[in-house]
Amino acid sequence: MERLYLFATLAGTRIAVETGEVEAVVRLTDVSPVPGMGAHIAGLSALRSRVLTIIDVAALIHGVASPRVERGLAIIADISGHSYGLMVDGVTDICRVPEGELPLCGQIGPAWAPYARAIVEHDGHPWLLVSLAAFIEGGALAQAA
Amino acid sequence: MVPVARIRGTMGMDELLQEFISETQETLEALAGEVVAWEADPSDRDRLDAIFRFFHTVKGSCGFLNLPRFERLSHAAEDVLSDIRAGKRVADPATVSAVLGLMDRIGELAEAVAMGAALPNENDEFLISALTTPSEATLTVEVEHNNAAAPVAVARQGGQSGPRTIRLPLSLIDQLMNGVSDMVLARNELSRKLRERSVDTELDTVFERLSTCVADMRDVISKTRMQRVDRLFAAIPRMVRDLGRDLGKRIDLTLEGGDVEMDREMVEMVVDPLTHIVRNSIDHGIETPEKRRAAGKPEVGALRLEARQSGNQIVIVISDDGAGIDTARLVEKAIAAGRLTPEAAARMSEAERLELIFQAGLSTANQVTAISGRGVGMDVVRANVERIGGLIALDNHPGRGLCITLRVPLTLTIIPGLIIRAGGLHFAIPRAAVVEILHDNNDTLQISEVGGAKIATIRGLRHSMIDLEDVLGMDKPVEAGPRAIMVVRSATGVPFAMGVSAVDNHEELVIRPASPLVMASGVYAGMTLPDNGKPMLLLDAAGIANAARLPTMIDDRVARQSDQEASAQTGVEMVAALRFEECSGERRLLQLSLIERVEDIDASLFGRSGGNAFVRLDGRLVPVANGLTDFGRAKISALRLRDGSVEACYPVAAVLDIVQMPLVPDMVAMHGHVSGVAVIDGEHLEVINPFALFASLPDGGIVERARGRCLLADSDDGWTRDILAPLLRQAGQDVVMGLPDDAAVDPRDVLLLTSADAAQTAGVMAGMIGCRIVHLRASPRAAGPQDSSIYRYDQDALMAAIAGGQMAGGVG
Repeated sequence: MERLYLFATLAGTRIAVETGEVEAVVRLTDVSPVPGMGAHIAGLSALRSRVLTIIDVAALIHGVASPRVERGLAIIADISGHSYGLMVDGVTDICRVPEGELPLCGQIGPAWAPYARAIVEHDGHPWLLVSLAAFIEGGALAQAA
Repeated sequence: MVPVARIRGTMGMDELLQEFISETQETLEALAGEVVAWEADPSDRDRLDAIFRFFHTVKGSCGFLNLPRFERLSHAAEDVLSDIRAGKRVADPATVSAVLGLMDRIGELAEAVAMGAALPNENDEFLISALTTPSEATLTVEVEHNNAAAPVAVARQGGQSGPRTIRLPLSLIDQLMNGVSDMVLARNELSRKLRERSVDTELDTVFERLSTCVADMRDVISKTRMQRVDRLFAAIPRMVRDLGRDLGKRIDLTLEGGDVEMDREMVEMVVDPLTHIVRNSIDHGIETPEKRRAAGKPEVGALRLEARQSGNQIVIVISDDGAGIDTARLVEKAIAAGRLTPEAAARMSEAERLELIFQAGLSTANQVTAISGRGVGMDVVRANVERIGGLIALDNHPGRGLCITLRVPLTLTIIPGLIIRAGGLHFAIPRAAVVEILHDNNDTLQISEVGGAKIATIRGLRHSMIDLEDVLGMDKPVEAGPRAIMVVRSATGVPFAMGVSAVDNHEELVIRPASPLVMASGVYAGMTLPDNGKPMLLLDAAGIANAARLPTMIDDRVARQSDQEASAQTGVEMVAALRFEECSGERRLLQLSLIERVEDIDASLFGRSGGNAFVRLDGRLVPVANGLTDFGRAKISALRLRDGSVEACYPVAAVLDIVQMPLVPDMVAMHGHVSGVAVIDGEHLEVINPFALFASLPDGGIVERARGRCLLADSDDGWTRDILAPLLRQAGQDVVMGLPDDAAVDPRDVLLLTSADAAQTAGVMAGMIGCRIVHLRASPRAAGPQDSSIYRYDQDALMAAIAGGQMAGGVG
């Protein structure tokens, strides 16, 4: 089970994402806010002719919107027919991990629990394997409703 | 329809199965109408063959794909159809129903296979036996049906064979669309760059050509999204047939305009409202044959669906010749449901009563039937139609039928919209949702606040008012210039006022769906990407009204109207008034409607008789309202007043201007001829009280006689109309052109005839009408001693004749 993972930091936590879920990583330039929505929806941004809904994942997890100046990179993903950009603090690497997913160890924080699936070991550190779709379908929609 | 990949070199079993399923589903959809048409005309061999082919194909394919249930069903149907083809059996309604039942089951199975679900384990045997054995039960049913409901006759315009088509996966088309959109954006950027740089005409020409190509391409690509309305109509004949049979009604269905094209997404959105309307029409609209016979209508009800393109809209008209909507029942229901007070109902116009059909939970159905009237009513239909930027209109003829018109935009993706600015951001709103736009410094607009609620009163009509920034939780930046107030009509039909910073632009917007996250907020309907590359959100008017929790009371409108009436009585209402200067120097106001005209009169004509002032005008004595007769100059301006019957003259020093004054003076102070004081342009002016004025006139003493009436027989004559009538009017006569139809002729009236028709009609008329007749002749000379007519330019004789007639009539 040798899979390709994207390693990133998100809300101060090391995360790993299966590359199958990732379409691209872009640097956000212009985000038009969507008023009347929760803090986790940072706004809309145009990627060529596509319009991305930008999710402030850190706000989803901690409930506090990221300051505008820190908005940098976003992982682009296509989730059930719509394009989303999920804001991350930084992207470290993309590489294969021979061991693959390891079961979760220790007590995972309640904020992270809905999104974490497993642990991936890389570079001597454990990385939390998260599902992007879970952020949208599990977290964001539930909060929006 | 399942999007499938078809352009492949080799196909696996799964793909073959996919292919089979989607083909089956497509054919089923197309055939439903054919079967119904075939039932109407069993001799139609082409249709029978088409249906037979369908079952045959299904049977063949599913043997190969190992789908035994499909095989058994299609085999049974094929057997029966081949018997019919061979003439061994007739296509009676029971058989057709059974065939339709089999088709439905095949459709269900296909869906189950497509979704990978377990096949619904139902009893296929029952269906098959219904088909193969025309048992006693079916026979009796058949007889009943023959009495109750004849097959639905379907008239369709246009041939059965469409243009040549291929099937493409939707994703490919979407990719193409995106590609073209990218191209447009790149073109726009290039255009900006070019403008910044050199002025090279050659380059500009090439660029122009590129632009045209891109624009054409965009148009063509958007056409790939188009679909024939036929698809929208496909399910209708079957539905009409089934419902008609269930309810024992006979319906003649006409479908027209199936070749009109509309956006495929729009087709999806219109299917439900259309289905609902057709169901309603059959269930509640068209009566049973017995009732129709009793009402003197043909037994077969007519239902007509028609689609046509009108500009950038598709118009779908659904009309029937049924009972129409019983608005009285609607009102009853609304009152029973506590939505309406009986008083409010009494004030409603017919159109407003009809509007009630769009209120949630109101239906004219006496009882809930299986067909419709399940609480999901016209309110949902309207909401669905309006959500896609459409409109719904009713044309109700109680007892004779109902015609419902749906207007929907040609495509979901391009709508005319307004770009508005609020809280420093730009938003789009469909233009169809905006009734009017005003600036908040407009005189006809008044915004008041009470208990946190804002009310915008526009020309006396009150609207709930919200600021978009408040609804969306934005800061309201302080901006120079007036804010724009838009009157927005929401789906519930109650318009409201929405304040925004400004309305910036009007554009054709390419709308794309927003992500479910954004849609969940309920106030957005989609998004659009304008040329500047900054995404913009499309506002949902109904959503905003909901989010702001605006009241949607029925009674609101009626209450508003009575408010308006009340305010008219309490003094907000303004009337036109003449501002003038009295001979004594004060400035006063007099309601303009009382003043017939203003004229300069010789001071010598004024006089006094028995303590009353009068003036001699046109040979009559007219009372002077303010009792003045001495002016110290030769000519005096005078207001000629009239309260309907009594005439008066009001000499003044000067006529100033016409102003708007409150109907009730700002300060009421009855005193003499004055009713109070009104403030006009900061000046306090006394208002003349017309009641006191006319009441103080001498009663009858001076007025020599009541105003006379002259009937001008030949009103078409130019001389009569242009010369005689004005003369008589100036002389204080009422002039009636032509003979009054109601024969209300007073003996004191004078009938004037010009010589042309005098000879023939005079004798008849004198007897008939019973009033005096004056003949006028064009020649100065009388025709003979018997000729009693008067030369038409002999004013004195004419006036004398008229006066004489009036006096004589009055005495006699």
